[in-house]
Amino acid sequence: MGRRRRRQPDPADAARALPEAIAALSRTLPAAPSPEIFRRAKFDRPEAAPALWRLLFHVLSPLSADSASVSFTLVDGPPELASPIAEAQVRWVKSVLHSQGYPRLALVQLQDDGSQGGRELLLALAWLLARGPLPERLLTQSHVRLGDEMPVCECEALASPGPPAPRVEAEGSVDIRHLQWLMGKLQLRWRNLMAGQQEQCALLGKIHSYTRGCHSDRSLGHLSVTETELLRDPEGGRQLLQRLETENARLEAALEWRHRELVFWRWMDTVLDTCPLEASPPTFLPRIPEPGAGAAGLPVRELQALQEELQALQEELRKAVEARRAAWQAAVGGHGPEWRAARRALQVAVAQDLAALQWAWEQGKGQARPHGPRRLVRTEARVPGRLGLWATEATEALRAREACLEAMLHQLQGQCRQELARLVGVRPGLIWVPPPAR
Amino acid sequence: MLPAECSRRLVAELRDALDSCAELQRQLEQSLRVSRRLLRAWEPAETPAPEPTPGPEINEEAPSSACPPSPQDLKELELLTQALEKAVRVRKGLSKAGEGVKAHSLKSGSTSPATRASAPPSTSHCAGSCAPGTKPPRGIRHPWVPAKDLPGRRLLLVGDGAHMGKGAGANKPEAGLRDQQIIPQAAPPVPEAFTLKDKGALLRLPEAFRKAASRNARLWAQLSSMQTGDSVDAAAATAKTQFLQKMQTAAGQPGSRLSSAEVGRLQKACSLLRLRMREELTADPKDWTQEYRSLLTLEGLQALVGQCLHRLQELRSAVVEQPQGPWPEGPPRAASPCGGGADPMWSPQLLLYSSTEELQTLAALRLRVAMLDQQVHLEKVLMAELLPLLSEQEPLGRPWLALCRAAHCLLCEGGQRFLTVLRDEPADRLSPP
Repeated sequence: MGRRRRRQPDPADAARALPEAIAALSRTLPAAPSPEIFRRAKFDRPEAAPALWRLLFHVLSPLSADSASVSFTLVDGPPELASPIAEAQVRWVKSVLHSQGYPRLALVQLQDDGSQGGRELLLALAWLLARGPLPERLLTQSHVRLGDEMPVCECEALASPGPPAPRVEAEGSVDIRHLQWLMGKLQLRWRNLMAGQQEQCALLGKIHSYTRGCHSDRSLGHLSVTETELLRDPEGGRQLLQRLETENARLEAALEWRHRELVFWRWMDTVLDTCPLEASPPTFLPRIPEPGAGAAGLPVRELQALQEELQALQEELRKAVEARRAAWQAAVGGHGPEWRAARRALQVAVAQDLAALQWAWEQGKGQARPHGPRRLVRTEARVPGRLGLWATEATEALRAREACLEAMLHQLQGQCRQELARLVGVRPGLIWVPPPAR
Repeated sequence: MLPAECSRRLVAELRDALDSCAELQRQLEQSLRVSRRLLRAWEPAETPAPEPTPGPEINEEAPSSACPPSPQDLKELELLTQALEKAVRVRKGLSKAGEGVKAHSLKSGSTSPATRASAPPSTSHCAGSCAPGTKPPRGIRHPWVPAKDLPGRRLLLVGDGAHMGKGAGANKPEAGLRDQQIIPQAAPPVPEAFTLKDKGALLRLPEAFRKAASRNARLWAQLSSMQTGDSVDAAAATAKTQFLQKMQTAAGQPGSRLSSAEVGRLQKACSLLRLRMREELTADPKDWTQEYRSLLTLEGLQALVGQCLHRLQELRSAVVEQPQGPWPEGPPRAASPCGGGADPMWSPQLLLYSSTEELQTLAALRLRVAMLDQQVHLEKVLMAELLPLLSEQEPLGRPWLALCRAAHCLLCEGGQRFLTVLRDEPADRLSPP
């Protein structure tokens, strides 16, 4: 009757592997379309394009500092049916991809209404996925924080201002007194911030000590504000739990994706093969480089600022070295032969020191510790075996940075003083009485 | 008055700074609100009871598992309650002598020995108790406390049978009025409102939450360990590299692109070098070895700075050479002093502190560093705009003097103090400027 079935690797398995990989990817990325859309995108079907534009937008915006400035339409329900992507968002996606170094020009040639280009967008997504751990990064960014977090690295405590309030543009000329007024307002705001921050720390300290012994995790010991709040407010607690479970689902999908992704890359090779080869250097007139933009999105302004900083540093070092070298030359003498040996030893030591310093920025991870916000834990002082950063150590590091910044500020102010003195010195007949020293 | 372009730029910068502060303030105020609320007495309806593990029984008013009453019903209840209270007052007045230890009081201010930290009026109490949801799935149980010995026993609390078990044993689960509506009444052993200070140590996190949180931690740990490759991972890594190369060659453009990582490295180098220089310059050498070492270090730093500048020049000339494409104008990217952005993978990291002062010092220092950073930036911007302005303006008249004075204040004193300008005239009058 029938043939005898032989034990072969079931071709259906191999056929299933790709959809399952894409399904895992779709479950772990935010706002991802169904696997079917991916398949259609390979053949450049029109219905794939809007969904993929939306996906790229959602993938790129959490990781970009200025996404707030591009208005966001929240996606509710199946991504395919959500409102069409706006032109501004399409342009934004293009510019971000470019600034990250996306090599293909076909992307920028797509229309801004977001109706075409499914295959190109698929390639762009794959490109982003290939360059780094994208799902993990997104998950980290949206991670549900259960503790009271405080960042201790040198990252700005001031994030970007958020969506800028609709502001009336400055009408033009202002009096310098307006600037003084704004400065005063700024100082007042800082004072308020500091006071508020002190209060918040005091409250945190109390909450932590009152809930000591409550946490199931012994290494933490006490509850955080988030956890206490969920006990006080069951409804909020339910929502928190829901978010946690969503994140768990996405984490599982990410793990699955990692296991299965090989078959996806093989498939992407075939997608790339179906693309027509891009023309060699396209025939367009190079735009005059604008002051704000540069290749790979490096603003010339940024490079200029860096150069100026380095030059200022160089100048300061030059002066210090000159002074000390001169002092040294004057003082040296009367050092015996043991001096030569000691000198060599010192040279070696300093060279090693500086090499370590250089390594700190050459390597990708210059930080001894990974940075990012840390969960606050109140604990007895100096209990051995606790894994974590001690507040006292973090304070030390910050003090160094504070001193550095203060010195920089004073130096700049001194420069200004000199410059102004030079300017007013031109005019005789005036006495400039500086304010009393503090 | 300042020229328009200059004004616009400076005002924009200052407003940006103000907006950043405002955003921080907003976040801070939100946290403060939450924290303050937690430290106050918690609303009775939300008061948690410990899970079925030891802990003192907390008799509290309970929310109803029935549907919430309508506002009109609440009003009626209020009226009923008031009538009752009046009746009690009258009765008490009449039978004062024989009352004895009738300590059970109604909500109206009778002499109840029970301490009441908070005594919300019955209607709001009712509203508060009508929190959505039926039996809360977490360790928050709200036992019914039926009224005890209400004069006349006309109104009784009706409880959900499931809740009955808990609560003071002496209470009588009277059938009375089987009313679906809540009739919150006197809670004779009046519950003390829950405060974190007194009873915080009794809290326990709900089971479902604990499970989800530990699963979360486990999944993150698994994901992190995947980074350190195994065979599957290595194959995928190769496939990815090949794909990227193919993308690059399939594109028409020349491959050499400046990575912003390079610039990030240089920025980091700059800040590390500056920090190191600061340390050396402020250190106090005690003997000649230290002096010499310091000198060598400074010279070494100088050499490194030179190298960085050289590399930067190379980068800049490369940037200028490449033609700009038809890419849309991108937004300027903020430089991150941390050099490269956050870790791609979350991992639980702790910040340990042992006293509130430690925490406050750290937080204050963080803010101070941020403020100084902002000030340095503003100083540079102001210098760039104002100094050229002053040197350009030739007529050294009154307005110029005023401008100078204001500029001095802004630039040299951080906008805080002013200098005084005196005209040094001989006795005989000179013509005014």
